[in-house]
Amino acid sequence: MTAWSWLCRCRRARDWRTTGETRNDKDMNIAVCVKQIPDPADPPGLDEATGNLDRSGKLIMDDSDSYGVEMALQLVEQAGGGEVTLVSMAPRGETSGLRTALAMGAAKAVLVTDEALAGSDALSTAKVLARAVARVNPDLVVMATESTDGYTGTTPVQVAELMGWPSVTFAKKISIQEGKAVVQRQTEAGYDEVECPLPAVVTVTAGVVEPRYPSFKGIMAAKSKPVDQLGVSDLGLLADSVGSQGARQQVASVEDAPVREAGAVVVDEGEAHQDIVRFLEELKVI
Amino acid sequence: MDFEETSEHQMLREAVSSIAAKYGHAYFVDQARSGGKVAELWGELAKAGYIGVGIPEQWGGGGMGIYELSIVCEELAAQGTPILLLVVSPAVNATLIERFGTDDQRSRWLPRFADGSMKMAFAITEPDAGSNSHNISTAATKDGDVYRLNGTKYYISGCDEAEAVLVVARTGADEQTGRGKLSLFVVDLDAPGVTYTPIPVEMTAPEKQFTVFFDNVEVPASRLLGAEHEGLREVFFGLNPERIMTSAIGVGIGRYALSRASEYARNRSVWGMPIGSHQAVSHPLAKAKIELEQAKLMLQKAAWAYDREKNGADGSRGSGVDTGEAANMAKYAGAEAAITCLDAAIQTHGGNGMASEYGLATLMGNARLLRTAPVSREMILNFVAQHSLDLPKGY
Repeated sequence: MTAWSWLCRCRRARDWRTTGETRNDKDMNIAVCVKQIPDPADPPGLDEATGNLDRSGKLIMDDSDSYGVEMALQLVEQAGGGEVTLVSMAPRGETSGLRTALAMGAAKAVLVTDEALAGSDALSTAKVLARAVARVNPDLVVMATESTDGYTGTTPVQVAELMGWPSVTFAKKISIQEGKAVVQRQTEAGYDEVECPLPAVVTVTAGVVEPRYPSFKGIMAAKSKPVDQLGVSDLGLLADSVGSQGARQQVASVEDAPVREAGAVVVDEGEAHQDIVRFLEELKVI
Repeated sequence: MDFEETSEHQMLREAVSSIAAKYGHAYFVDQARSGGKVAELWGELAKAGYIGVGIPEQWGGGGMGIYELSIVCEELAAQGTPILLLVVSPAVNATLIERFGTDDQRSRWLPRFADGSMKMAFAITEPDAGSNSHNISTAATKDGDVYRLNGTKYYISGCDEAEAVLVVARTGADEQTGRGKLSLFVVDLDAPGVTYTPIPVEMTAPEKQFTVFFDNVEVPASRLLGAEHEGLREVFFGLNPERIMTSAIGVGIGRYALSRASEYARNRSVWGMPIGSHQAVSHPLAKAKIELEQAKLMLQKAAWAYDREKNGADGSRGSGVDTGEAANMAKYAGAEAAITCLDAAIQTHGGNGMASEYGLATLMGNARLLRTAPVSREMILNFVAQHSLDLPKGY
């Protein structure tokens, strides 16, 4: 046992005593960070002044997060005890995206919602999530590799750094063995198997598991599951350290994506295969 | 007054829709044409508890009502995978068993409706009786502890995938009018003396239609559902769910067709602009959309009223809406909307409208059937004329 994981165990043991909860040693308590985003099927516009995404419409759970939720639920089932807690930061107390994950089987949620958070950059988001995760006190944090609306892909490792916990990215499989996370980490060539002590932050790549559909009983139960709503001050953060005021990153300009050039049309008069071969040769793929 | 569905309803729609979308219309057509069934789709829906949403919780169901079951039905059809057996099995039959069954019958069948492990067909229509149920000639004659069933039913859906069939049979006759006294029986489809043969129909559906022959079939008295001779009155309790669910299939098919058509009309460009910018294309679709939304409102109203009325029997107040009228109107509107939307969608697609690839013409039989079955448009007009407008009866 490494000194680090021993320390982590001690810390958790202390927490059980102080919180008075009865937790079994084998229980897995997992926090899954879930982002609620504008529906990509009905993409919103950008705010002209700030270049930020318009989040005033209905928000749904980022599809990328459904894989992490599924993986976390499976890990809890395998452990035979524990629970999945969702952690989310969203405007206007939005919970509709959380309800989807609660219907899948997550036990409860922590939602940070505060006007001061408008215009947060990735680091501000990470500060908020890290504080919220700390309140959950999980054995493991699961996050998506990147969100579908922001795509920075930096928030999970920032959360890990702020927590002082190890992070493993691009997981295709997670298992818990002897109190450690054993992760198959995707690489260009295949995958690496990585071990790290718990607690840790692991990011999950989209598509690696099949997210379950919520059962009807799950849907009906979702409404009564607790969603703990917190503001910035509840987390001990100053309002000017987050949101647009605290952001160290700004959108400098927004430009349309370059229009894709028209392709060449080859009319087959019996010779088209030669044109195709020539084209592929130019690309140096054959 | 509130027209917004709950977040649970929305989640139910999303979940059923994503399961159905995974299979899609091509799967539905492949199964229908190869003589296969939608067993995988049914199984996945059943496992998640969606087939049994309307069965009471004490029997393992979702404890909700016909509104939720109609959502399941509509969302399936809206993905191009309508399931006809939802109309008879968990809607008509489970309703009748829940209402008229003995404790033994309920505990025997309702849990299996709830988990979707059993399908039950429904047999009322006969070659010589048509919509006149008084003329039903299939007869169940009491013989000691059993009934002996003889007769023929036709246009019975899904006998090859159902385990049993709920049969409406004559057990006597009114001495004065000569009209049949009817009773309900649950008959195993593998019971000796039961045979069925498919009726070829021009409809692409995994559920096949059958003529069912009962040749001196021995039916234990424990299979009598409800009171002897009270079958006609009892069966009416299953008819409103049937109409509501049929409406849901119609609304779902309409949504499916319009979604395909509007996407095509936005993207198909012939004279340098999308065809949807031409009013000759857009107006029929807009008109169909209005009719579809009207039908959906009527469907929602009917399902809501049905559930309120049913719960009213347990002490809470009813809706004050005439459920029978609403269910009939919903069925009429749902069927007409399906036909209008599908026709407009096919026309929008030009020649492609008939191509298998576009998955529209494959549903023509299904949509058109809704105008005829389970109750014809004309019988609904009769009902509305007499019941709602107090016009004299002509038959």
